[in-house]
Amino acid sequence: MLRTGRAVRVDDYRGVPGGEPYLREGLRSAVGMPIHVNGRLWGMIAIGSGEGPLPPDTEQRMTQFTSLVATAVTNAQNRADLMTSRARIVAAADETRRRIERDLHDGTQQQLVSLILELRMVEATVPAGLGELRSKLSRLAERLAGVSDQVREISHGIHPAILSSAGLRPALRALGRRSAVPVDINVRIDRRLPEPVEVGAYYVVSEMLTNAAKHARASVVAVDAETSGGTLRLRVRDDGTGGASPLRGSGLTGLKDRIEALGGMFSLHSPEGGGTAVCCELPVPEGGQPGAGHGQ
Amino acid sequence: MRGMASSRAPQVVLADDDVLLREGVASLLARSGFEVVGQAGNGTELLALARSARPELAVIDIRMPPGHGTEGLTAARVIREELPGTAIIVLSAHVEVNEAMDLLAGGERLGYLLKSRVTDVAEFIDTVKRITAGASVVDPSLVQELVRARRRRDPLDVLSPRERQVLALMAEGASNAGIAQRIFVTEGTVEKHVRSILTKLDLPESETDHRRVLAVLKFLEAR
Repeated sequence: MLRTGRAVRVDDYRGVPGGEPYLREGLRSAVGMPIHVNGRLWGMIAIGSGEGPLPPDTEQRMTQFTSLVATAVTNAQNRADLMTSRARIVAAADETRRRIERDLHDGTQQQLVSLILELRMVEATVPAGLGELRSKLSRLAERLAGVSDQVREISHGIHPAILSSAGLRPALRALGRRSAVPVDINVRIDRRLPEPVEVGAYYVVSEMLTNAAKHARASVVAVDAETSGGTLRLRVRDDGTGGASPLRGSGLTGLKDRIEALGGMFSLHSPEGGGTAVCCELPVPEGGQPGAGHGQ
Repeated sequence: MRGMASSRAPQVVLADDDVLLREGVASLLARSGFEVVGQAGNGTELLALARSARPELAVIDIRMPPGHGTEGLTAARVIREELPGTAIIVLSAHVEVNEAMDLLAGGERLGYLLKSRVTDVAEFIDTVKRITAGASVVDPSLVQELVRARRRRDPLDVLSPRERQVLALMAEGASNAGIAQRIFVTEGTVEKHVRSILTKLDLPESETDHRRVLAVLKFLEAR
């Protein structure tokens, strides 16, 4: 079958060289059917009989079965490929964000700071008689400082450095402090999680806090995160107006895609007038490195 | 107080992988009465430099090659251990409370500042001199973030607006005299505020300004 890729039939093992092992098993005859997946011989299924030759329509009847198996295998493979390619796309997007953040931080932002510094030093050398020039330079420096602050905010929004350096707990606490709505944060995670998981969880909380402040008019948000039994469970809920729908093109759709791409589960519960709650479960390998960067 | 007390200019080493910015800070410090005795582009270079120059002060960028993470903090920890007499200022593009507490756990004469502070030239130099002379300083924007964080049952609600202001200045590392100067009251009044704050928040009396900074930071972070 390996050679031809076709069905193979043996009507009587007694007349076939090398047939003894089959005979010892009590087999007299057999039919082997190939399973082709995406044009390649993927495997085979054989049936045998201890009596006479198998009926002549055996091949035909089994073909129905093997093509069903082939379809199932193709589906499973496609699904697995799709999962890994989704995960790869998310990872590539994260990597791009990290690179942009780094370019902004190590390039643009540093240059701005050194420009402002230079301007300040030029300002200091302006003779006393040229007060107007001096104050113009001063205003320029202040405006540039405003630009520098903006770049800092943008780069932080693209990828928060604290997430890579210190992990999910400090990053979520920092997010909570910067939130316009009071946040109760309860994080029971004592180790670093895989980066895509930390990033995914961070974005879920970040988006929910933005949503709570901007649209939901919430008065409090509760964030609970814990790892147990190889799963990260994240729950974020507010007491706002509810009625959030992934269909209405909020950032929630992207979150669902992101979490599911990591093999996780994302569910949104947001009845009109009843607050908004998001629950996520993400698989995380057990063990991992101990948590770092919590101060001493 | 070594260095500042003598007539000799305090010696300083700088570490930053951005040469332009490093040169800018170097020339600013040189103009402001410091002697820049060396510059480094990463943590390893910095350690070698600090060991040979034994400076009064090290100004360190937190994020340097090879990892562009928190190499500056790591280097600061080693310097603190090997050369406890060296004051250390860590500059960072983003200020984070865990990094501040991590650094300040190392003792006195430590500063954790937003990098862009170097452009407020006069104030930056003033801060550098205070740290070299013994103060521990935390960037005001970080303290603001901690104080302004909204809590549902906020323990800070027991403080008057004035006391909140004093608490923030304590967290930034100001001494009672410094606080008095900033809010235009006498030192005696500041002492009264501080005692009231410590009682209301159930914080321990600290024998040094440095311990006080750490205690207040810890409280604000945990609230």
